[in-house]
Amino acid sequence: MQIRRFRELVIGSMVIGGLAMGSVQLSAHHSFAAFDMSKEQTITGVVSRFDWTNPHTFIWVDVTNEKGVVENWAIEGMSPNYLGRRGWSKNSVKPGDKITVTVRPLKEGKTGGMFIRAQIGDRVLMPTGTPTDER
Amino acid sequence: MRHAARLFAATLVVATNVHAQQNFVPKKPTEADWTAVAKLPDFTGVWEATFGGGGRGAGGGRGRAGGAPAFPAGPQLTPAYAEKRRANQAKGAEDSQAANCLPPGMPGIMGQPYPMEFLLTPGLVTIVIEAYSQVRHIYTDGRPLPDDPDQKFFGTSIGRWENGTLVAETVGFSPQTEIAPGTPHGDHMKIVERFTLTDPDTMTIETTVTDPEALTAPYTTTRTLRRHRAWSIAEYICEENNRNSVDANGKAGINIKK
Repeated sequence: MQIRRFRELVIGSMVIGGLAMGSVQLSAHHSFAAFDMSKEQTITGVVSRFDWTNPHTFIWVDVTNEKGVVENWAIEGMSPNYLGRRGWSKNSVKPGDKITVTVRPLKEGKTGGMFIRAQIGDRVLMPTGTPTDER
Repeated sequence: MRHAARLFAATLVVATNVHAQQNFVPKKPTEADWTAVAKLPDFTGVWEATFGGGGRGAGGGRGRAGGAPAFPAGPQLTPAYAEKRRANQAKGAEDSQAANCLPPGMPGIMGQPYPMEFLLTPGLVTIVIEAYSQVRHIYTDGRPLPDDPDQKFFGTSIGRWENGTLVAETVGFSPQTEIAPGTPHGDHMKIVERFTLTDPDTMTIETTVTDPEALTAPYTTTRTLRRHRAWSIAEYICEENNRNSVDANGKAGINIKK
């Protein structure tokens, strides 16, 4: 368990490092131009929908901002094909879950971003999971 | 009259050349043909490029290219194509048409961060590519390459087995495919791929692009793939929920309307 946790951290760091350097292209079909890759932002809210769809998963989160207004955030993740082989499933995120998510925010102040990591209760979700046939 | 006959004969010769491949009819496989397939290197199952190397590899190289040098030399371009590449870069496009779900074609489709499955049958190697749900056919039944191929995203491929290595030759590419991101190809680009098992569950694909108009030297990249016996290919319908886009000016967009 310790080792697996460490592995996830290492893989997660590699991916984030890679994304930051632009050397590892994990997104098959688009660039990162829409995201501010120099920033990290953490939001907390309630999941309203989880799209377990190609070409990307989307976690939709209702976030109450400082003015008390509920904003809907769209958080893009890896595809179900990629994540499904690495420990995620369509049930990894459910409507009603209280979630804290760290993202690379969208540019121009739009309420969305690219998934970096999340926590739901005790569970930590990493952007690439862990290959299930290599544990 | 004699003139007409000559013209007819000439037309026939041209037609014969052009349609040499299209008219090739594979013979019905025999039991011996299937037995021969069983003796080929075991390419069966699902393979995915490995981490490591960090090179981008050949061709719209949007996938990670395991086993490639950390900073592979890019394609060496002729002055005319170096200028085309500069002009493309000067446009400052933020993304490619793949953001609109257009598959990259060859050679980029072989460098995606998704697995592929190899199917071996008599006279044919079929590659089922998960990214964009694509399929390539490499004919090993002795047919020739077409003399005047149509321009396809995957081109037209034939292959042969050389000491356990599948050597595939591919010609005839759509102008919408690229040698590498922002680098167009000429009409006579040729791609030779060498598929080799280096241990029971590891495959290398060495890809060499030649192009008399675009390249001053062959452009070779190598990928390493690992077999995942437990995996199967999943569907990848890019239009299912595509919220990314790129417009005619290269501006990337994202639709976050729920």
